[in-house]
Amino acid sequence: MVSVINTVDTSHEDMIHDAQMDYYGTRLATCSSDRTVKIFDVRNGGQILVADLRGHEGPVWQVAWAHPMFGNILASCSYDRKVIIWKEDNGSWDKMYEYTGHESSVNSVCWGPYEFGLILACGSSDGAISLLTFTGDQQWDVKKISNAHTIGCNAVSWAPAVVPGSLIDQPSGQKPNYVKRFVSGGCDNLVKLWKEEDGQWKEDQKLEAHSDWVRDVGWAPSIGLPTSTIASCSQDGRVFIWTCDDPAGNTWTPELLHKFNDVVWHVSWSITGNILAVSGGDNKVTLWKESMDGRWACISDVSKGQGAVSTITDTQQTEQ
Amino acid sequence: MCQTSAGTHLGFAWGPGDILVYETLYKASGCPCIHEVRKDEDIYSPILRKLFNESHHIFVGLQTIGEDLPSKNKKPQFVSISKNYRSVIRACMEELQQVSILLAIELIWNLCEVLFIDAAPAGSLLLHLLDWVRLHKADVDEKAREVLQSESPAEHHDYWNVVVSYVLQGRLEEARQMLVKQATLQPAARSMYKLMDTLLSKMPFYNPGGTQTLTEFDVKWRHWHEEVDRCLQDNSFASNKHLEVICKILVGDEDTLLEHKDLLSTWYHFLVTRLLFCHPTVKPTELHYYAQSCLTMFLDSRSVPEPLDSILLAAFEFDIHQVIKDCSIALNNWWFVAHLTDLLDHCKLLQSHNLHFGSNLREFLLLEYASGLFTHHSLWQLAVDYFDHCPEFGRVYLELQIERVPLDTERKALKVLRICEQRQMSEQVRSICKIMAMRALRNNRLGSALSWSIRAKDAAFATLISEKFLQDYCARGTFSDLDLIDNLGPAMLLSDRLTFLGKYREFHKLYGEKRSGEAAKLLLSLMTAKIAPRSFWMTLLTDALPLLEQKEVVHLSFQDEDTELTKVELLRLALARNLARAIVKEGTVEA
Repeated sequence: MVSVINTVDTSHEDMIHDAQMDYYGTRLATCSSDRTVKIFDVRNGGQILVADLRGHEGPVWQVAWAHPMFGNILASCSYDRKVIIWKEDNGSWDKMYEYTGHESSVNSVCWGPYEFGLILACGSSDGAISLLTFTGDQQWDVKKISNAHTIGCNAVSWAPAVVPGSLIDQPSGQKPNYVKRFVSGGCDNLVKLWKEEDGQWKEDQKLEAHSDWVRDVGWAPSIGLPTSTIASCSQDGRVFIWTCDDPAGNTWTPELLHKFNDVVWHVSWSITGNILAVSGGDNKVTLWKESMDGRWACISDVSKGQGAVSTITDTQQTEQ
Repeated sequence: MCQTSAGTHLGFAWGPGDILVYETLYKASGCPCIHEVRKDEDIYSPILRKLFNESHHIFVGLQTIGEDLPSKNKKPQFVSISKNYRSVIRACMEELQQVSILLAIELIWNLCEVLFIDAAPAGSLLLHLLDWVRLHKADVDEKAREVLQSESPAEHHDYWNVVVSYVLQGRLEEARQMLVKQATLQPAARSMYKLMDTLLSKMPFYNPGGTQTLTEFDVKWRHWHEEVDRCLQDNSFASNKHLEVICKILVGDEDTLLEHKDLLSTWYHFLVTRLLFCHPTVKPTELHYYAQSCLTMFLDSRSVPEPLDSILLAAFEFDIHQVIKDCSIALNNWWFVAHLTDLLDHCKLLQSHNLHFGSNLREFLLLEYASGLFTHHSLWQLAVDYFDHCPEFGRVYLELQIERVPLDTERKALKVLRICEQRQMSEQVRSICKIMAMRALRNNRLGSALSWSIRAKDAAFATLISEKFLQDYCARGTFSDLDLIDNLGPAMLLSDRLTFLGKYREFHKLYGEKRSGEAAKLLLSLMTAKIAPRSFWMTLLTDALPLLEQKEVVHLSFQDEDTELTKVELLRLALARNLARAIVKEGTVEA
């Protein structure tokens, strides 16, 4: 069902914690416990090391590519409490900005929708979430949400810029309705939604369902329907899908996707948001899709290269 | 966060399109590798590319068939389109060595055309099914050729196999011609061969275009059937086991048919043959009963039906949704189900099967197919048309996907841009123009950056680039990209800085053409209109210098500002000179 088409030997000297393709799938950024961030050109099945970025003093947990309209920009966050934003100029990568405002490991970084410019959300083990906004001329504006999650924040993910459903009955040409929101997950077992109002960030919703640390959250891309969807996964082995049908964004209904036998580390949505990838401690990645009757079914089960089609739920097997 | 659990962790990230990236946990003994993984879709096969390209053409044509005609008048058009799709499949089969999947696809499509699109009624139905079987059992002709080309065809070891195969396919004329060869070798059995020839020649075949009704045909056929049966009972062919076999086949004896499994080779050939000799007036609704029993009879107890068998069975049961579902699972890409479902939908054969997110089955499959195409470096353009014809989600899917097309060259960017502009996807247009503008700026191509930011209607960026142009001028004393700046037109109004740039260049042009009066007026207006950036005022004043040196008296007045000392001195000197000249001139006139 799937095949390996290219294997990139990163030459990292320790565990790899994150790998991300850029917007077009031409570049790959990786980060590791060896404190480095590497960038590879992977066009046409190749693997050319483009940059070996050193600047962190501890394991680097995540990397995130900014939208290409801002140039080639990559953010990284690390155990060393720093967030570094790297930029490519004339073929070489350099530090564009270094943020040291957290008191503990920074676990997650996520760029906001390009409609809001260059804005980065950072979640940290000190429980705070920082929002770094580029205001031009090497200046960054910092807003901090302290005590966002007690004990620590593990993940942040931005909502699409446009209010869901606003594209329906909207005459084209009219400026769509923007809203600045993101979701976070923390060691307080909670999933929280944050909204910016009048220049201030406020806690908008508190979603309770997990019984252990929330490891990752993901806000699904919008396909124009008046529904918002968020996925969350936790140390408790559960993955929940949260949906909200009202445009005001007030009632979120959880649905248990599945209970796994081990920690679930990551959830991520495909580009059109119709497939959710879940990776867990059982060394597998499963892909999930919403079926005709609204329930979620597993459409593939991939463990290290072999493929198999299997269903876990009792619903009809969906199309491949 | 530190992983403290003992479990290993397989990392994962979506790439654009369907390229997934796996990370592996690296322990001291391992290798820190990232695997790029891709779904096994056949879009990367160069031969299938032809299939995608040509079927795209047919697809677009189908969408534009007039809505004004009632469905039944459109049937011949739909059948013709179905045949077009099939001929594309066959064309690809000829190029591909490994044809089994395409053969299966064409087989299924053909059956769907017969049963669903053409929807032949009893009488014609069997004839169509006969055609269907004959088309997909081409080895008979090969064998026949081999036999006929041999020295003594009637003695060839495959001779009787060919004759029986012809009979099984209802190709009685050809069977008769073959038998003639045997008859000449056995003059003693001439009457027996004559009898067989007569039986074969008299078998009635329904003529849909003729005046005979189905009932009349049925009566005629039964008479013939009885005659054949009589011959069997009379042992007319008892002394020739081959002719006896043929007679039994003609009477529709199941056991005899099953004895020739190797010649039939498939249960559906068995089905059609059985219907031909037992029930040629079979109705569409009766098919499934015969299909199921034939499948069971044909497969021995050990073998299990394959996916293809289930699909064909579902077709005979007229369960269109099951056919589509089974094909979706069995096949490696969405091409077949997407196009077939689309055609069936146009024929109004699909009940709206509402999926949870509000789209119907046709749209769902087309979206899956087109999304798959988007990962390909050139096929993505075909996908655009498919998205266009998905009324519910096509547009938003296109918006999401088109932003991921790598803008490797300016030409490609323009292509993508045109697609977005044609569909009023203003956000995407802006985004693409901004990306190109940024890229041009990074490569120091200011002219290109400026024109992209104008196209993006990005005032902020236009301002930034205008600044760079002006800085460039200050540094080098000349402008670059004069053509662009000279022809800005109304775009100049996008940002103040840009307007200033345009007007400033105009000033230089006027000055160069020695239209000093107009130049001076423009310069003055630039200074007073407050669109000149403060940092540029010194430059403007310096530009004013030569004007002040002109023989003609040009009256200028400007505000006093903080400026460099030497330049101020120069100005004072120039002003003093100008004043002096003015006084002299006035004095001269008066005197």
